[in-house]
Amino acid sequence: MELASAAIQTTELTKRFGSFTAVDSVSFEVRRGEVFGLLGPNGAGKTTLVRMLTTLLPVTAGKATVAGHDVVRHPTRVRERIGVIPQALTSDLDLTGWENIDIYGEFYDVPRRKRHERARRLLEMVGLRERANDLVATYSGGMRRRLEIARGLIHSPEVLFLDEPTIGLDPQSRRAVWDLLEALRKESEITISLTTHYMDEAEQLCDRIAIVDHGKIIALDTPSGLKRMVEGADRVELEIEGDGASVATLLKQEPYLREVEHNGNGKLTLGADNGPHVVPKIIDRVESAGASVTSISVHRLSLEDVFIRFTGRSLRDEPAKKVSFLVGAGMPQSRG
Amino acid sequence: MKTLAIMRRDLLKLRRNPLTLITTILMPIIYLIIIGNSFQGQLKHLPLVVVAQDHGEYARRLVEQLLALQAGPKTVTVSFAPDPAQAIEAVRDGQYKGAVIIPPNFSHSVGEGRIAEVGLFTDNVDSVSASTLEGVMAEAAQAVKVSFVTAREPKLNQIVLRPTWLFQYVDYDRGLIPGVIVMAIFTGSLMCGVFNWVMDKFMGMTECYLVTPLSRWNIAAGILGSGVTITSIAGVTVLFLGLLITRGRIEGGVPALLTLIAIIVITSTGLLAMTFSILGRASHPRLVGAFAGFLNVILFFPSGAIYPIESFPPWLKAFARYNPETHAVSALKSILFKGADLAAVTRDISFLLIFMTATLALASISFKRTL
Repeated sequence: MELASAAIQTTELTKRFGSFTAVDSVSFEVRRGEVFGLLGPNGAGKTTLVRMLTTLLPVTAGKATVAGHDVVRHPTRVRERIGVIPQALTSDLDLTGWENIDIYGEFYDVPRRKRHERARRLLEMVGLRERANDLVATYSGGMRRRLEIARGLIHSPEVLFLDEPTIGLDPQSRRAVWDLLEALRKESEITISLTTHYMDEAEQLCDRIAIVDHGKIIALDTPSGLKRMVEGADRVELEIEGDGASVATLLKQEPYLREVEHNGNGKLTLGADNGPHVVPKIIDRVESAGASVTSISVHRLSLEDVFIRFTGRSLRDEPAKKVSFLVGAGMPQSRG
Repeated sequence: MKTLAIMRRDLLKLRRNPLTLITTILMPIIYLIIIGNSFQGQLKHLPLVVVAQDHGEYARRLVEQLLALQAGPKTVTVSFAPDPAQAIEAVRDGQYKGAVIIPPNFSHSVGEGRIAEVGLFTDNVDSVSASTLEGVMAEAAQAVKVSFVTAREPKLNQIVLRPTWLFQYVDYDRGLIPGVIVMAIFTGSLMCGVFNWVMDKFMGMTECYLVTPLSRWNIAAGILGSGVTITSIAGVTVLFLGLLITRGRIEGGVPALLTLIAIIVITSTGLLAMTFSILGRASHPRLVGAFAGFLNVILFFPSGAIYPIESFPPWLKAFARYNPETHAVSALKSILFKGADLAAVTRDISFLLIFMTATLALASISFKRTL
């Protein structure tokens, strides 16, 4: 019996498709009860990484344990302990919401009485109790997604994997999913792995975030920790009355400022590690130089700025997807 | 201009989907070969057993006429048997389409100018073959009359053919019921089994199964189980609807009904497993659609559901012998119309059981628990 304190642990985990390395020696650990975000551009290797962790893809090299079990040696034990909500809407349209959840519970051998109790509770939690007996074909995209989250929880998994859970949803539905995940986190010990492109979503929900690019984890920290990694990233916009050039020269000597740029007409742009904290110091320094501040504004670094800093602005050229010669273009099979 | 843009778009899509193009061009050719050879106009090589209990002049002439039909238009393939009961039983068992019994006093009766009867016992469940044999025998008797009428010949127009149907009357529509059942099974097995699976795979829904503790066996057995249930229900429903519409009945009561259900279930399982073996790993529903039509044509038309297999060219006859639908149709016909017991369809059911086992083994090998 393998047991590990971490909910997810990978060591040098690698996945190759022919000569293309989709996931390149990735090592990280997710603590139990943590909400862990995976951020990365298209084709970065996120989905491939998650597919290895959820036993969908064979591992090329390295090791991974999920809920304390090796994904290669004991895939069934892993499957019994995880819930997966894939990016595509996968609830059966021809079944009712209740049937979708109930049948899924049977896959995990959840006893009937327990299954029904949980299904009722989960449908209540996702706000679908009233629509439980309606066909899923009558549901909106947001309702289907909420149903699928409930479905993924029917067997009380230790680790829940969500792949782009709010993609294509309207703002109301997105908020509903967020509320649901936050409630889930408060009420249980579940570990959540969240793959997303939405920075606000990652910032709102995740305890820690890994930024993945070119198959590697290039940064891993809390959202605020990630921001701190980018030096002088807060932008302070300053307008002064006085000699802008000499004020700029003075400010360049201040240790708390990373960057000073004089734009002419008394306008300066400063780069600071912690913008709001240094504003009084900046004002004092400007006034000591015989000038006065007419306006000052601080633009705090967003997670999106951090993401762009780490991954760059260039668009990714993903490896060519396989297209059947005979049947032409099928459904795109994203590698991550 | 806008219309041309639409045309261009569609033509480009067609060019990038060669399967559609192949289906459009190749399938009609294959259909023509299969269907064309299955319906060849006049029937040929109908197996006919002759019991000549009289070896007199006129009996010999009648046999010569039948042999001439065998050598010329090849309508019949003549065999001889010594015992009438044995010959009739062989027709009942499906070895022959008909038995001609020339009674011991035949030539004498003709010579005496009295009515001389010839017995013809046909497998009337195959109404097309039965009516052809009646025609052939009438023609042979007529030829005896015409060829040998001289001033000294007796009154040959006293030869009378006594046709006897060995089974209940089965009209053309009712005779189609086994074929319709088999077609319902085939369509059901395709739509309920492999098409659903490939469509789920195409839509990304199988991903949900694959991350659960469901084993490869659980998934395959579950899909086969539901497919067999639905397909068997469809087969039995078509059976009753067919009997209702054609006002037919099942010879043999409850045991026969249970045997029919067993044949339907075995055939359903075999065909479901076969379609899974062939198409289970297809990544696109288009493939299933294209192959569905092809398989239906190559299996159904040479099955003997509409036209007797005996008249097929040798290559198609050889294919029909190993076609599961041939055995399903044959077994259903025997039980449904001939009141045959289980022993009479042992050969067909054994074939279907072997086919089912082989395709299940093949399906279990080809079915992968992967994306």
